[in-house]
Amino acid sequence: MSSTASSADAGRGAVYDRGYRPYDGPRGRRGAATLALYKASMRRALGLRRPWRQKVAPFVLLGVVTIPAIVNVGIGYVTRDRFDGFQIITYREYVGVSSALLLFVALVAPDVMCPDRRHRVLPLMFARPLLGVDYVVAKVGSITTILFAFSFLPQVVLFVGNMLVSNSALDYVGDHLDVLWKVPLAVAVLSLYYATIGCALSSLTDRRIVAGASVIGLFLLTSISSSVIVGDSSVEGGGYGGLINVLAMPLHLRDVIFLGHIDPDSPLSGVAGGGLLALACYLVVLCTGAMVLWWRYRWVER
Amino acid sequence: MTPVDRRHDDGTPGRLDGVSNGPLLRLNGLTKRYPGVTALDDITLELPAGRIGLVGANGAGKSTLFRILLGLSHPTEGHVEVCGIDVARDPIGVRSRLGYMPEHDCLALDQTAADVVATFGELSGLPARAARQRASDILDLVGLDEARFRPIGGFSTGMRQRTKLAQALVGDPVLVLLDEPTAGLDPIGREEMLLLVDRLGSFGISVLMATHLLDDVQQVCDHVVMIDAGRLVVSGATDSLLERTGLVTIDVGRHTDELVAGLAQVGVVAVVVDGMVEATVEATVGDDTRMDLLRDVVAGLGLPLFRLSTRLTSLDEAFVRRSEELT
Repeated sequence: MSSTASSADAGRGAVYDRGYRPYDGPRGRRGAATLALYKASMRRALGLRRPWRQKVAPFVLLGVVTIPAIVNVGIGYVTRDRFDGFQIITYREYVGVSSALLLFVALVAPDVMCPDRRHRVLPLMFARPLLGVDYVVAKVGSITTILFAFSFLPQVVLFVGNMLVSNSALDYVGDHLDVLWKVPLAVAVLSLYYATIGCALSSLTDRRIVAGASVIGLFLLTSISSSVIVGDSSVEGGGYGGLINVLAMPLHLRDVIFLGHIDPDSPLSGVAGGGLLALACYLVVLCTGAMVLWWRYRWVER
Repeated sequence: MTPVDRRHDDGTPGRLDGVSNGPLLRLNGLTKRYPGVTALDDITLELPAGRIGLVGANGAGKSTLFRILLGLSHPTEGHVEVCGIDVARDPIGVRSRLGYMPEHDCLALDQTAADVVATFGELSGLPARAARQRASDILDLVGLDEARFRPIGGFSTGMRQRTKLAQALVGDPVLVLLDEPTAGLDPIGREEMLLLVDRLGSFGISVLMATHLLDDVQQVCDHVVMIDAGRLVVSGATDSLLERTGLVTIDVGRHTDELVAGLAQVGVVAVVVDGMVEATVEATVGDDTRMDLLRDVVAGLGLPLFRLSTRLTSLDEAFVRRSEELT
């Protein structure tokens, strides 16, 4: 550090040129770069270090998906002397409520993916110790994590609330031990699926609005088509139409996780091996999404 | 030649050094072909550490060379070493040592400069706290200390160029690749940017600056590589390319006509160019005899002498001449 002022002039102030200081601390490689991108994407998705408007959507959605748990626990508390184990929503059904986070995916996945392409940030990122696969893992991982958290936290509120308003908290936990692994597993299945689809569709365009509309459009189109096929009694084997409902695929797996079989009310209930077919379709969609992402971010020109 | 990493006691790497000795960059028979076009054609050269200008017209192959150095594009033939590391074998190791400032806009406009630079610091492998500290220091260094918490969308072109330079430097690279760093800048912004580039050498950071503005290279680079249509035109120290022309410029204020007449009497052909007398004499480095003659003529005429200097060829002239020789 040099000073333009002598020590004698120190009392009058001085202008410093701090110059350049080399960095000699610890330095990571691919893992550190991937983690850094993961954290940056999480911050962006949650609107952290961004204007307040960017924070509204994620936290409003978190509030919305938590409302059923609060209502359930609230009524359970008020009526605790009349009913033991009051329930307006089950843990299994609550995983389905998490599909409301589809809106969140349609909003956040394009916001996390598209600007990198639109603002041509990708060459800068891949000039770092980062490969295409690291980029995809960081982006999909960040959205999966947020979706998992936003789906899981309301379940925690529901579980802890129900436990506290029950006659015996210990008995309640003992009776619901299976929930402790079924809920995280079902929520993880759903989160990874929605995040992968959201990221894959967003990677195909640099316009957020187009990406968001594509995500909503895909889910709406396939679910409407599926309903039409399943609802048409003249179509033989119409139950198979349930397999083209991209939106519902993780919900079929949720049923398998919670019930051990497809829900009797599901369109797949009459289909032989419906659970396995749902799992196969789930994996096909997931792999297709992963392949699209790999293709889009294979950032080395051969 | 092996790269040298200073390591801490816990084994984590410290500042990434370049090479213990030998060239910073080594290109051996480097060729890159695209369908129907050869972007780089059998380029072999070794470049020392320092400030290197990569000169060529648009489409000469500068950006292709950058992509190959970063390991983002594979050469069709030949191989490249950066800091003694083979790019094809360890592109991650090479990228850890490089900073890159692209020509085009590449910054998220809704983020502050501090956030962008700190994020790229973390992506370069720095811990979060160190990245934020260095982002602050580097933005201060490039003259954006006051503006670092403002969104980049509100920045001028010059400020954006500085932010791009800051993100290239935040990882403390051994070599920084600058692609047209003065593009789009006004004259003052250009001077300031060149001053920054000039200072990088004193920080121990080597520079490879791609540009088609030879004046920029002449001003800050101590080594020049000229390529044209993918072929190497010339590579050498800047000074060695600036040859003397045999022209001497004499500034005698408004007495130009008297001097031209006086020089004619001693057999020296002289003309007036831009208000100064340009005389053709056979003056070579280390031979001041002819220069003494000119000085004596001026003195004999009793004229004021404001300037007496030999004229050098510009890099433009050297580039054109070498290109013609090549063809």
